[in-house]
Amino acid sequence: MPIYAPSLPPKPDLTLGRRPAVVLAAFDLRRVLRQKMGRFFGFVFTVMLLWRLGYVYLNYFKGQNATIGKMMDAAAPLLAQGAEWHADMLGGWLTYLLWFLVALIGGGLVARDTLYRVRPLIYAHPVKPTDYWLAKLGLTALVPFAILAPFALLPWLLSVGLTGLHGVMWASTPLRLVPAALIIALLMGSVASGASSLASTPRAGVAWVLGISLGLEALSGLLYGILDHGAWRALSPMSLAAEWPRLLCGAQGGAYGWGPALIGTAAHLVFWTLVLRARTRPSEAVL
Amino acid sequence: MIAFENLEVRYPGAAAPALKGLSLALEEGIVGLLGPNGAGKSTLLKTLLGLLEPAGGSGTVLGVALGSPAAARLRGRIGYMPEYDALIEDATAYEQVAFWGELSGLAPEAARDRAHEVLYFVGLDEARYRAVSGYSTGMRQRVKLAQALVHSPELVFLDEPTNGLDPDGRRRMLDLVLKVHAELGTGVILASHLLGDVERVADQLVIMDQGRITASGSMAGLRKALSRRVELRFLDPLDEAQAAGLAELGELFEARNGTYDLELKEADPLAPFRWAQARGAVLVQATPRHDRLDEVLLRALHPEKA
Repeated sequence: MPIYAPSLPPKPDLTLGRRPAVVLAAFDLRRVLRQKMGRFFGFVFTVMLLWRLGYVYLNYFKGQNATIGKMMDAAAPLLAQGAEWHADMLGGWLTYLLWFLVALIGGGLVARDTLYRVRPLIYAHPVKPTDYWLAKLGLTALVPFAILAPFALLPWLLSVGLTGLHGVMWASTPLRLVPAALIIALLMGSVASGASSLASTPRAGVAWVLGISLGLEALSGLLYGILDHGAWRALSPMSLAAEWPRLLCGAQGGAYGWGPALIGTAAHLVFWTLVLRARTRPSEAVL
Repeated sequence: MIAFENLEVRYPGAAAPALKGLSLALEEGIVGLLGPNGAGKSTLLKTLLGLLEPAGGSGTVLGVALGSPAAARLRGRIGYMPEYDALIEDATAYEQVAFWGELSGLAPEAARDRAHEVLYFVGLDEARYRAVSGYSTGMRQRVKLAQALVHSPELVFLDEPTNGLDPDGRRRMLDLVLKVHAELGTGVILASHLLGDVERVADQLVIMDQGRITASGSMAGLRKALSRRVELRFLDPLDEAQAAGLAELGELFEARNGTYDLELKEADPLAPFRWAQARGAVLVQATPRHDRLDEVLLRALHPEKA
């Protein structure tokens, strides 16, 4: 049984604390971890990562064993390498699942504060609006980046470890895939936190994120079909997330080029950050 | 503790200012802030917290000028207990009080220690590891008070702290408010519409209406200044001429068995005795009727009706 002082001890030092944005993000991260989504998504993402690592190892194994190498030549298309294969490290079902995870996490991050009316109390502390939206955006972007980073780095590390810088993975892979992972994470984070600020409950926040992501994907596909111009696909953040690894790895056959990708990404980042800022101003904080 | 001069606050786009030329100086102690909805109490609290910049006038809170760059840091020296719930439902009382402590500038370890101490102080020692979603209204109010105190503020704003509490819970909360000032030496500004609460704990009172301060001062002084009601008891009932002459003293409210309840024109306690001497009546007792706080409030807000 702890023994407490009869009343509170002298005033503590208020200058030793962490930055408010870090405090907010750390507290939100603990709440996210409590949501217990980790088991399902952790399993799925681990399987996906092992599958990619398996590709790298099979390529190495093929080179080491002549008999198996001949057998596996037949499976060459399966073990495709080059730009497309590198870009696919961050593509396919991985990004679709990641959008879903970010919607579940980020959709509730701002909306939960709105529902519980916590934001006015946050601003009654020495917290600036920038601290608040940076914490929300930062955490929503950190989660997908933390998941994408191993996909960008571990296969490359395995390849380098097995065969050096001339193995199946390019020496420059991290320089291409890590920026791609960062852009994807920022794109997902800005869309999710901005959409969450529009909602009044966490469930509505998840619906907003999925609605915006899937809605813009459908709309951009429709416009692309009608107007027959690939640049319309850059309206969709999901399409942009799939495009960036291809662009940075130099893969052929992308939906559109650098121009629409840059404009579309910048527009989404700026627009959703502005939405987040506008919806979480202190003047919105009715005491 | 707090002083402002001609303070004017205007919301963007609003035609009229929300606070109109407020001037006031508040001393250390427990201040009761009274007023109807829309009186400007919340706007005043927002301004004092540094969330709204004054459009005119000047003021200081704990020695820091309102609207100055240091005003944001000032919030670390102030605790705020909001009127509404504002609790993080999926967190325990301990987690969230530690979180609010960290947000006020405490180091993580210090915030955790203080959370334990302050929750013990407000009487939530056993329940602090439970999620607040399962708390009763009284426990929730105490968590809100704990988060306002976790960083040992010099000044704490309590907005309707007894909202939704039963009589026993109300009494306990008001005891805590008194304890906060007496044991921690923290200045308290208590905004409430429950006059009995303010009457019990406050030693200074500010009454607001339509963005203005209509009355302010110490509770005792305010009552004295506003109270001119006396009960006069004469040895024999007054005759008709004498009773009619009471109008010279003030407005007669009630006459019963030689006792006359009236409001004096002037707050001069000797005036009834001089009047009785001049009229040949024997005044045996003149008792000032200490107004209840609701009468004080009514006078300040609607002098014509009172």
